[in-house]
Amino acid sequence: MSRGRYSRQSFLGPNSKEMISRTTVAVVGLGGGGSHVVQQLAHIGFQRYVVYDDDIVEDSNLNRLVGATSLDAIAETPKLHIAKTVIYALQPNAAVRGFACRWQEKPEPLRECQIVFGCVDSYKGRHELEIACRRYLMHYIDIGMDVHGDEPPVIGGQVILSSPGSLCMRCVGFLTDEKLAEEASRYGAGSRPQVIWPNGVLASTAVGLAVDLITGWTRRERGYVYLVYDGNQATLKESFTLRNIKIAACKHFAEDDVGDPVLIDL
Amino acid sequence: MRIHLKMRGSTYREIIRDLVRPHPFATERVGFVFGRTGSLANQGKVILINRYHSIPDSHYVEDPTVGARIGSEALTWAMQAVYHGRPSREGIFHIHMHGHKGEPGMSATDAFEIPKVLPGFQSTGRHASHGIIILSRDHGSAWVWLPASQGPARADAVIVVGAPVGMFERSAT
Amino acid sequence: MDYPKEQVEELKRYCSKLSALAEGAVTFLYLEGLRLPTGCNPQECDALLCPVQREGYPSRLYFSVMVSSPYSRNWNVSNARIGERNWFAFSWRVTLPSLTLAQMLVSHLEGFAKQK
Repeated sequence: MSRGRYSRQSFLGPNSKEMISRTTVAVVGLGGGGSHVVQQLAHIGFQRYVVYDDDIVEDSNLNRLVGATSLDAIAETPKLHIAKTVIYALQPNAAVRGFACRWQEKPEPLRECQIVFGCVDSYKGRHELEIACRRYLMHYIDIGMDVHGDEPPVIGGQVILSSPGSLCMRCVGFLTDEKLAEEASRYGAGSRPQVIWPNGVLASTAVGLAVDLITGWTRRERGYVYLVYDGNQATLKESFTLRNIKIAACKHFAEDDVGDPVLIDL
Repeated sequence: MRIHLKMRGSTYREIIRDLVRPHPFATERVGFVFGRTGSLANQGKVILINRYHSIPDSHYVEDPTVGARIGSEALTWAMQAVYHGRPSREGIFHIHMHGHKGEPGMSATDAFEIPKVLPGFQSTGRHASHGIIILSRDHGSAWVWLPASQGPARADAVIVVGAPVGMFERSAT
Repeated sequence: MDYPKEQVEELKRYCSKLSALAEGAVTFLYLEGLRLPTGCNPQECDALLCPVQREGYPSRLYFSVMVSSPYSRNWNVSNARIGERNWFAFSWRVTLPSLTLAQMLVSHLEGFAKQK
């Protein structure tokens, strides 16, 4: 006998359904990682979305893009459309603001969110999203995977929570000038290997973090999280860089640095 | 036009910890927070609170007719802070707490007394947003005087970006 | 981050509309309507000088548009988001030590006029 759609997640707390439905979440990037995130958010009961992706479905996406079909590749369906379809199929009354462009071209809707999922494929993209989230006070949850090397190839990935007032992606050792520089020097390099199951692990973990941020069901106050995925060992563990962190406060974002940028005349 | 007010979880906890402290003679405490303005879609605005100032006990004036009354030193301090915040367009918000649960509104005293300070803040910090925040034990409301506005706009939501996230939405009436 | 007053004044001789923009522990110098070297198109645009190490460069000069110049340059930064605007930069390494802000700006602008 059915007891209501969310009866199995009542452990999240008596007001969890309402808290989840009132939270506005953004998903930037609706590809392999973002499509998983969107699907799970819709299942859980999120009602308010801001989503961005300027790309279309291609045949090479079908090994991992949740919700996409062979017909979408033939029709060159926008990934944004796939995401909206997945959301509305589960939440017909959801308020979805979708933008088939880079978020930087329409940044204002992002600022109304409380949680932003970064499912982008560059360090530069992550860096810029984190800056926006610090400036407009939003929790930022980043996921990403890559495959490198051979004999055998190594699957790696990360889930990072960067919250205003807490340690950032630079503080925890994920984002560095060297990585940004190296990426800039590879400008225009080709597409990278991607598969569905690491995306699933990372997206699920990210969504779990978000639900905890909203409901507080674990009673853990987390300001930052940095989990490293090892796809060869099938593990998701706290990054070793956190063991050596001696800083208590973020040095990379001043607490005053919020709101629209202000130019101070010199 | 949508107006949101956001603050970090750490700032919110700092505010609550301070406002619930007993005062030698006042039955309530008040404080000031500072914030900067951000733009939202469709000309909406978001006020981003970046710090809290606890008013020293000695800056209160004993007045049994009201819960708390701050004296001239507190107001002078606030005005100077608004003046120094002008280059970065930082505005000031009077903040205090009601002891009940649920969405707080302005009491008759709040509505009569607190807005009196706003014109002074506005004329000193013309390009910043200023206003009033009232918290309850589990909710919050804000009234925002945007730059060049004659009167306040009620914020649609006061949001605590902490763990857990606090989403205090204005009820539709 | 404050810059020495005399260096700021020297920089203003190259662009009178000069302001500071703080973001992520860096204070950029915003040059509104910076006049570009002869042969550039457009002849002027907004620019952002980052006088500290960034993306593997000792300093960086960003432009509000991609500028065409007598010598083609590698515009390896496209739509970089700084101060809620999008910026462009070409690969040009200024390695001379202890430059003033104005000297740094001039060295970056030389990237338009020099073959390499």
